[in-house]
Amino acid sequence: MSIVKTVSPAPPQEAEASPIRLGMIVSARFSVSGFARQWAHCHLLANYLGRYVSANEGDPERHATMLSTFVNELLEIVYRNHAGDGQIELTFRKKNGRVLLQATVPISESQRMFYRMAVQLVGQPDLKTWYRARLEDPAEGEDTMLGLLELVAVYGCNVAMTENAGESRVTLSLHLPEFDDMGEV
Amino acid sequence: MSNSVVPSSSSGGAPSSGVPPSYMPMALNMRLTGEDEQEVTLTGTLRPFVAEEMAQVRTSLEQAAKTAKGTLCVNLKRLKYMNNVAFLELNRFVRWVARTRPDLRIKFILSSVIPWAIRKFQVIAELYPAVSIEVYDKAFYPVQPVIEDDEFITVLRTQEKLIWAHEQEILPQHGLRPGLRVADICCGLGDFAILLQRDFRPEYLVGVDHSKPLLRYARQVVSDFGLENIEYQYGDAAALLLADNSFDFVSCRLSLQVFPEPDRIVHELVRITRPGGRVYITNEMLSSVVGYPQQEAIRKGYERFLEVCRHGGVDLDMGPKAREVLANGGLEDVKISQINVTNTNSDAHDLARVVELWIRVAWQFGAAAGANPEMHKDIETGLRAHIDTILSDRGYAVWPIIAASGRKPFRTT
Ligand SMILES: C[S@@+](CC[C@H](N)C(=O)[O-])C[C@H]1O[C@@H](n2cnc3c(N)ncnc32)[C@H](O)[C@@H]1O
Repeated sequence: MSIVKTVSPAPPQEAEASPIRLGMIVSARFSVSGFARQWAHCHLLANYLGRYVSANEGDPERHATMLSTFVNELLEIVYRNHAGDGQIELTFRKKNGRVLLQATVPISESQRMFYRMAVQLVGQPDLKTWYRARLEDPAEGEDTMLGLLELVAVYGCNVAMTENAGESRVTLSLHLPEFDDMGEV
Repeated sequence: MSNSVVPSSSSGGAPSSGVPPSYMPMALNMRLTGEDEQEVTLTGTLRPFVAEEMAQVRTSLEQAAKTAKGTLCVNLKRLKYMNNVAFLELNRFVRWVARTRPDLRIKFILSSVIPWAIRKFQVIAELYPAVSIEVYDKAFYPVQPVIEDDEFITVLRTQEKLIWAHEQEILPQHGLRPGLRVADICCGLGDFAILLQRDFRPEYLVGVDHSKPLLRYARQVVSDFGLENIEYQYGDAAALLLADNSFDFVSCRLSLQVFPEPDRIVHELVRITRPGGRVYITNEMLSSVVGYPQQEAIRKGYERFLEVCRHGGVDLDMGPKAREVLANGGLEDVKISQINVTNTNSDAHDLARVVELWIRVAWQFGAAAGANPEMHKDIETGLRAHIDTILSDRGYAVWPIIAASGRKPFRTT
């Protein structure tokens, strides 16, 4: 296990406006085909990036375990819902003490519907009650969705999606809750 | 919506590239824990791709539920990662129990060290009346409240200062040198880490403790000193989250003695040590405390004190067992040193304060163990007599501590 105590911002890769790079911790870009080759990639990436992002936290290990839980769930959803080729980009930033993970994912039209549906569900007023009802009485084919909803209903994450007209990709934003110095939310 | 999810975690389907190999380095273990309790333990990582991969877990749980009487415990205290696919399968299992065995209770045993677990299972506990959760490590160290009060913190620091002067000299004999990766398990206030940093320059040091107030203190000190290569972690020494074979030198100081099952802790210390690295432990040997004059009262006082502590699962005479404990842990090249803190080679007032603290600890343990007033009297009389000898110009007093270390073999047989 190697620990990076001071994480310096990644150098800008393109001529992007500086505010976008603000609070940047780390970003990773990889091909869909490479990622989709192995289910274990979700776990390994979530742990590696979780640990990297947690390097400067009060309790880096616990923070990383928590982060891995969130990041893995998002990656698993991406694993199940992406187009056949293209690139996935993950960016971790820290804003006002909270970690923001953005995942840009190439998608097909049916996957677009899935993500829209997920974000819509997440936005409903009494998500917690809805989530509990689903645990008591699960519906066919909803499991993947519940993973994302749990992050919001149980752990207080926020999920948003941005899509640009004509583009076959979406950007999912997972705003993580505030952690205390012991890596707890 | 299920059509758009390709593939769904519960569909059993696989992506067009073929079924991806699962990722579930997980262990499953079942045992009967009592007449009315059966326990199924899951450890490691549960991040399956599809629900079907949980079949073995489901079957074992269901079998256990069929035969269990009273309560079925599902022990997840060392399950570090779990994804939603696995969680939903556990939820399905709970629903199955509610339907088929309405008389059976299910208890999820969780650890406060795993940061995602409690919230996740609280939801299930609230949903089903037969389900409860137990956070097993919330109250498992009986003297914890004493240790965390301000006065004790001062005494811990005093104790550390007293011992360091001697320990510093023996540590190189136990393999400590600059540039090592060090883990200090049950690090307490972290003073040891700071002293090591000053005198032994480790490449990296992680301190683990199960007390949040002590860790907060330790972290503050690190940040006051501006130290970069020390990290603290809230954890349970009996189930560390640190990786196998990852440290050159693993210490556990004055702490094995506070656990009812020290072998379990040693197992963890050995696990995280790299082959060729060393595990270093210190433990007290209070049966050999020296105090003159008033030898008889002092001896009796410590005997009683040890008895009361043993009641609380704490063995303050563990020192001499170090060689056996390390050998049982599979370590070789075991080295033993004795540290004698005396009223002539150390600050007598500091030593007296440490003994003062033991009197308080004795009261705490005594109350918990239901010790009779007679015992208390013997302890108080003996330990006060010890303080007198420590502070007297002509008295002689020794506080003996055994330091021991062993090397992790390159090849286990
Ligand atoms: C007697 S103190 C020794 C502290 C320090 N090593 C020293 O020498 O000053 C015992 C320490 O063990 C810690 N402890 C108790 N149970 C623990 C557990 N299960 N895991 C990790 N640390 C634990 C306590 O919080 C306390 O800091």
